[in-house]
Amino acid sequence: MPGSAMSEAPGPHGEAWRPSATREALRQRAELVERTRRFFADRGVLEVDTPVLQGGANLDSGVLPFRLELPGGPRFLPTSPEHPLKRLLAAGSGDVWTLAPAFRSQELGRLHSPEFRMLEWYRLGWDDTRLLDEVVALFASLTGAPAQLEVLSWREAFRRHAGIDPHSVDDQTLARVIGDDAAIVAGDRRAALDLVQVARVEPHLGIGRWTALVDYPAEASAQARLRTGEDGLQVAARFEVYRDGIELANGYHELTDAAELASRLEAELRSRSGGELHDQRFAEAMRAGLPDCAGVAVGFDRLVMLALRLPSVALTRAFAWERQ
Amino acid sequence: MPAINIGEVSKGTKLIFDNAPWLVLEVNYVKPGKGNAFYKMRVQNLLTRYTLEKTLRGGEKVEGADVTDTEMQYMYFDGSGYVFMDKTSFEQLTIPAKAVGDDKDFLLENMDVWVTLWNSEPISLRLPNTVTMEVDYTEPAVKGDTQSRVMKPAKLKGTGATVPVPIFVAIGDKITVNTQTREYSGRVLK
Repeated sequence: MPGSAMSEAPGPHGEAWRPSATREALRQRAELVERTRRFFADRGVLEVDTPVLQGGANLDSGVLPFRLELPGGPRFLPTSPEHPLKRLLAAGSGDVWTLAPAFRSQELGRLHSPEFRMLEWYRLGWDDTRLLDEVVALFASLTGAPAQLEVLSWREAFRRHAGIDPHSVDDQTLARVIGDDAAIVAGDRRAALDLVQVARVEPHLGIGRWTALVDYPAEASAQARLRTGEDGLQVAARFEVYRDGIELANGYHELTDAAELASRLEAELRSRSGGELHDQRFAEAMRAGLPDCAGVAVGFDRLVMLALRLPSVALTRAFAWERQ
Repeated sequence: MPAINIGEVSKGTKLIFDNAPWLVLEVNYVKPGKGNAFYKMRVQNLLTRYTLEKTLRGGEKVEGADVTDTEMQYMYFDGSGYVFMDKTSFEQLTIPAKAVGDDKDFLLENMDVWVTLWNSEPISLRLPNTVTMEVDYTEPAVKGDTQSRVMKPAKLKGTGATVPVPIFVAIGDKITVNTQTREYSGRVLK
């Protein structure tokens, strides 16, 4: 659906005290939660609850946490349940999953809400490729759409849909592809490529099937390990899954090198000014050793939106952001 | 006006870009999974009514515009501008003919309209969607033919504007006119 991101976000109807979702939507949502629970129970993955008031902040590029001032010191709302889940893994929990509240400051739109539900799980001894198959199996079973998967490298997706090679494109060509908005990303190549990705590439992904974007550039590796890609370049062992131009999942073959992870988190913290603090217990757990594993985070509200064919995440939640 | 964080901008927010006030018609937040955030907005210039798409980066600050809508009653034309009265404060305000534009064709004395003020200065007005006007002059009516789509011009009382009307409409008839399309929408039965 090219251009659909610009269509007006249909919000909830009726008086502001009323729920945002219809009763039928809530019933179907509950059924999807139940099927998710059965999916993991059948596969021996342990369901866990994770805390909502974290001692330190998640430090994902471009994702801003809420900081709370509490009597015992600041706390941070999780932008994903990644930290407690990885601490469990480091402590020997084995495969774990959770459907947890997650919070991201300043994210609001048809596909975003500052408060949402994140489905996240980890598989011991798996890599990103094997996990990707499981993600698509779950999505197919929840939405009823066949598990037909297209795997596209990040580089190939840019070549095919934006007509540029993101690794070698010169600044003038990049500016020409962006058009009128080039000025706002001038001198910031990463931002310019992000803008091409959201405006030119993503609307074409996952049309009539599931599309996985893989082999992200090393600088967008987040907490994924690096490996040598097909064309000899260093790439991140990371995937994102799209359907109808909408990103649903972000998975990694997890980085287990504690020193490398600490230096990535340190660099991310230095680029920020929002009063974020390191999550010390998470850092200690990583030093104690994260076992080899693959993990994935899924925007559960988006998955419900897709399964129920609703036009916005607001209509999947009993009370959407505007009515909380 | 204070600077507003782009994250707080929503449909209906009024902002200053290039020294002009703009109304946000639509705003959508987009970002790749772990990357830079962008706000894609459709905005309308409140002076020219021109709309355009504008993209801003997450974390930016924007300047809010002091724009308010006030209900006012039209009183009279003073030769250079249209004089209105604020229905709550009873203060009078003159809107230059340029800001009223073609809306003058349907502006009748004592009519209630919404006036948009920017920094307390009037910049535009919004008429009711439908107004009732009396036909001052038109060619003689063709009686009985209420189905015909043939139209003829009719001059309206009070403003002198001309709109096309069906041929059964007679002088002295009261008709309703859509102020947005400037089209006849019906006859008020006597």
